Amino acid sequence: MSAVPSRLSIRSLWPSCLVLALACSLLLALTGAAPRAHAAEGIELYTPYTELSAPPGESISYSIEVINDSSATQQVAVGLTTEAADWQYELTAGGRAIRTLAVKSGESQTLTLQLEVPLQVEKGAYTFRVTGGAAALPLTVNVSEAGTFSSELTSDQANLEGYADTTFSFTASLRNRTGEAQTYALSADSPAGWDVRFKSGSDTITSIAVEPNASQTITVEAVPPQSVAAGTYPIPIRAANNATSAETSLEAVVTGNYGLALSTSNDLLSTDVTAGGERRLDVVVTNTGTAELQDVSLTSQAPVGWEVTFEPATITSVAPGETANAQVRIKSSGEALAGDYAVSLAASSAQKADDLTLRVAVKASVLWGWIGVLIVVAVAAGIYYLFRKYGRR
Amino acid sequence: MTSPQQDAALPHGGGMNAAQEETRLRRPFWILVAKEIGDHMRSWRFGILFAIIVLASVGSVYGAITALQGGVQQAEFDANFLFLQMFTAVDSSRQLPNFMTFVSFLGPLMGIALGFDSINTERSKGTLSRLLSQPIYRDDFIRAKFVAALLLIAAVVFSLGLLVMGVGLLTIGFPPTPEQFLRVVLFLCLAVVYIGFWLTLSILFSIRCRQAATSALSGIAIWIFFSFFYGMLLNLLAGSMIGDAGQMSLRQQEWLLALNRLSPAQLFSEATTTLLMPGVRSLGPMTMEQVYGAIPAPLPLGQSLLLVWPQLTGLLAATMVCFGLSYLLFMRQEIRSRM
Repeated sequence: MSAVPSRLSIRSLWPSCLVLALACSLLLALTGAAPRAHAAEGIELYTPYTELSAPPGESISYSIEVINDSSATQQVAVGLTTEAADWQYELTAGGRAIRTLAVKSGESQTLTLQLEVPLQVEKGAYTFRVTGGAAALPLTVNVSEAGTFSSELTSDQANLEGYADTTFSFTASLRNRTGEAQTYALSADSPAGWDVRFKSGSDTITSIAVEPNASQTITVEAVPPQSVAAGTYPIPIRAANNATSAETSLEAVVTGNYGLALSTSNDLLSTDVTAGGERRLDVVVTNTGTAELQDVSLTSQAPVGWEVTFEPATITSVAPGETANAQVRIKSSGEALAGDYAVSLAASSAQKADDLTLRVAVKASVLWGWIGVLIVVAVAAGIYYLFRKYGRR
Repeated sequence: MTSPQQDAALPHGGGMNAAQEETRLRRPFWILVAKEIGDHMRSWRFGILFAIIVLASVGSVYGAITALQGGVQQAEFDANFLFLQMFTAVDSSRQLPNFMTFVSFLGPLMGIALGFDSINTERSKGTLSRLLSQPIYRDDFIRAKFVAALLLIAAVVFSLGLLVMGVGLLTIGFPPTPEQFLRVVLFLCLAVVYIGFWLTLSILFSIRCRQAATSALSGIAIWIFFSFFYGMLLNLLAGSMIGDAGQMSLRQQEWLLALNRLSPAQLFSEATTTLLMPGVRSLGPMTMEQVYGAIPAPLPLGQSLLLVWPQLTGLLAATMVCFGLSYLLFMRQEIRSRM
């Protein structure tokens, strides 16, 4: 305010002042937002941002000026009324919560309104009235999106199929929509015998921390028990803490496993054979799995010059739990040394294979032994003949 | 062995039944055997030989013990056949041959020493005709000569062998398996047969040669030939076979081996090696085909025996043939009172 002008000049200015006031009120009427709440006692409340947008969980801070237009100091009781529930607010001035403040004549005081947008809130406009004595200041907050206090656990591919010896590996996504960092404990209600593990990267975990409005990818590995029957196994998994929880259900479909065992009919892994001779053995192919094995071929690895043949060389099919017999004929090389040799037999289907190693003891042919005995006997007979002929002289 | 005392203890009088008749007929043979053994035992020659062999055996046992004690700690020996290694272990630092080598080297000497003068000395002394004028069959005489010397050899070999076994038991501290024991017994039997071969050979020479010195030299010449020179000759032959190719073919190697096996010393060494070392699976050259897939494991006794069966029968047959020849020669020889 400049220094007071002369009365004359005020009078001469009056009509122009009137025009200015009229223009101002017209402008105010046009914009529709009165920055000042007029009060009878001359108390005004002022804040620049009366309508604003905020996401759920946000904290909005208003700086509100309380202006005393009257000629006397005024005691102003401040408060806030609203129809929106769950909104937290606090009126502070000078660092303290305040209910009443005094404003000197022609001066203003600043107070702060701290307004918390709740996490769980509908989208829309919410109105608040800040009251200061008889004056009121309407405030509007537009909540930009629907707020939730929840967590989401989802899996893009919740159904996997595999054999009984497969490790089922699911990928799940855990999203924190609570507006606060959360640490979740991970648990799975696994079917009996299943081993379900949560992994993040290559580490096995039991809990995971997620930032607000962020998501984490969890790998869920499920290992079925060894003797699992074919079927569908639901695996409910759950991420929870004391504030929030999320769960989803994964599904592992086991299509039966393949198992193959090769053994000899008497479970003996040693046999003997004369050098150059042959030995027949019965081998048993057992399907230890739950799915049918087809085209089991029998092969062998034997020393050089040995012949190992199977009859039949290929078994067409073996039903689960059933056995199939084959005969193996091991013909040793005539050059084989006396002593032990290793002969390995293998049965393999497209899915599984098994092998066993036989210890074959080669025995030297006894033929030459008998020839040696014959020579000795012949010599002995010769001596006996000499005894008879020349003896008792 | 039936002792002559036992025979003498039999009643001379009384009824002459068939059994007594048999005993009476057999008695001269065993009396001859007993006399022969007695003569040998009292002779200086046998005493010196026995002393040499005992000393050699003690040396070899000492060598084997030190070798085993040093070698077992360095895992040089297969701990499964420690007992057999008492006979085969060589102490490389002391250069002492093992028991097996001593038997194969000194055994022939003993055989020759016991047999070279058995007939011709009796003949030159004139005791032969005097002896045969007694009611003694000629074949009893020649058989008694052979059996007495063989019994003596068997006694020496087995006593030394059992001595080594006993010391081995003390040193090693655990008993051998029956199979190992059988292997040792078979080895000792084989040694008796081998020494018996040299004995019959020298008896043969003593029948053939009039002078004891000639027969002794002939026997020793053959022994030295097979022990030393035969191997050298074969080495020469092998050297010429190698030629420019740098190495022998499998067929040439087999030929060499077959020639080598004409020597009784070679037969004996192959047979004893296989009997005392169960890990030996083949005596000839081995091809890669035979080795591929083979598991290095000791052979059972039966298989070891089968492996050296030709060697065993060869030695036995050679011994028997020599004996048969001596018998034939002796029976057809004229015996005059004085030559």
